[in-house]
Amino acid sequence: MKARARLLTLLIAGAVLAGCAHYPVNAPLAHYTPDAGYRFPTMVADRPDPADELFVCVSLSGGGTRAAALAYGALLKLRDTNIGREGAAKSLLDEVDCVAGISGGAFTAAYYGLFGRATFDNFYREFLVRDIQGELALRAGNPANLARLASPYFSRIDLAAELYDETVFHGKTFAALAQRPRPFVTLHATSMADGGRFEFTQDQFDFLGSDLQPFPVARAVAASSAFPFLLSPVSLRSFPPPADFVVPRDVTNALASRDDNLARYNWARQRMDTVSTGEKWVHLLDGGLSDNIGLRSILTAMDRTSGFIRQRINAGRIKRLVVIAVNARTDPPEQLSQQERSPGLVDVALKTATVSMEGLSFDTLDFAATRQNEREQAQTNIRVCNQRLGQCGAQPFPAFAQEVRACFVELDFEALPSPDREWFLGLPTTFALPESTVKRLIDVAGTLLDGSRDFQKLLRALRGEPALGAGVGEAGNCS
Amino acid sequence: MEYLTVRFPETRDVLVDGLVQGKTNLVLELEAGVHDVSLGPPRNFSPLEQKVLLQSTSPLDPSRVDFHRLPPSAIPISPGSRP
Repeated sequence: MKARARLLTLLIAGAVLAGCAHYPVNAPLAHYTPDAGYRFPTMVADRPDPADELFVCVSLSGGGTRAAALAYGALLKLRDTNIGREGAAKSLLDEVDCVAGISGGAFTAAYYGLFGRATFDNFYREFLVRDIQGELALRAGNPANLARLASPYFSRIDLAAELYDETVFHGKTFAALAQRPRPFVTLHATSMADGGRFEFTQDQFDFLGSDLQPFPVARAVAASSAFPFLLSPVSLRSFPPPADFVVPRDVTNALASRDDNLARYNWARQRMDTVSTGEKWVHLLDGGLSDNIGLRSILTAMDRTSGFIRQRINAGRIKRLVVIAVNARTDPPEQLSQQERSPGLVDVALKTATVSMEGLSFDTLDFAATRQNEREQAQTNIRVCNQRLGQCGAQPFPAFAQEVRACFVELDFEALPSPDREWFLGLPTTFALPESTVKRLIDVAGTLLDGSRDFQKLLRALRGEPALGAGVGEAGNCS
Repeated sequence: MEYLTVRFPETRDVLVDGLVQGKTNLVLELEAGVHDVSLGPPRNFSPLEQKVLLQSTSPLDPSRVDFHRLPPSAIPISPGSRP
């Protein structure tokens, strides 16, 4: 009789727990303040910020612990890279203005944004060498959590976010991230509704009528790494916008001129699609589904009139723009093409999720390089024409406020010699890697930067050192 | 990208889509499509704002938008300002 009562009590307690379990709901926004909240610092007219002159952005790709370790190794190498002239000490890492992180790369980006140089004391132990997957499985198997997972409002991703919050990000929110304005860290996820890129910035949260400041960083990182099929999406509530909300003008203009710029129109439409007039939720999946390199937010900041890079380029604040893409892409030996039978459901599901990531990544890298070359060509055209006009005493053409020296550096395992290349390209995407593999990944980031022609050109230019080989190979990108 | 020069008799902040985006009489690099163009204070110029469609421009042949400086007698008095 007593045993039955105990079982009944347990069942009731379990049902109550299950019924109560709910993911933490994001906070509504009381007032629309376009100059406040988690955004890149506003550019002040007629008050140049010396930090803008050398503007460095780093994108950290997806790829589980493999990507997080490569990203960590790249930041470590930037920390140890001196760009001071004539022996003065100045670390390249201190010049980094923005970091974009996706999935595995989002862990490193967010951690560095929150803890700065303490990252190099703690992140290795607190994240890189842990068996995150095993710990998550243990938590999921806990009877109390089993009951919570029975709730329709609480799922595996919420459990993962709790684990990251408690053991990696120590309860920090975007308010803490905002306290260190540079580097500005952009974490990305993908909206399930339209496949669009979703950025954890107040600019994006304005359209949800939500305040990003009290939102846990761990939850954003969980959304960014919510790989489809393995983890469930992170859900956000969209509230009706505050009464004083005004749709930014570049959004209204983008919507009004679809035929003139489809990319800008789609960006604006995806933002407007999240606006709620009643009850609405946005469900977020792995950021890699819309951009596995993490470069697209940087490119958007270069393109939109509201973009913090575009504004600074046009105002003549940026003299040198450096973009470093840390790409932990792999290319394991293809197995499917070795078999005659048609691939099964699991293979199809995994390939559906990853094939689009790979295709988009190549397009993004190509676009980034093209965008930088375009600017260089435009500057050269104006400069050369004005030199010629000057020779014959004619009126010069209007020029840009400032010529921008552009530099695009990509780190990719493809640049390694055999057999290292095949070894790194064959690594799995997982949140549990052997410590020896993590160490090799950290070290190889430095090797890749040391071996990058463009990165070495950049260092010579920053240190004011003469070009190698009387200018051979020293023109163009990163010179 | 597209190119725009905003012409005005003096150097002044240029606002594109409501945000400071550089100075007058220089080349601005902007996305294709429709933009709202205006100038920073004081409001002694006309028109107060112009809509421009940027398409098929080049750095040597940017789209041009002209603002005219108003004589002091023609400057509209905004509420709260002293006559």
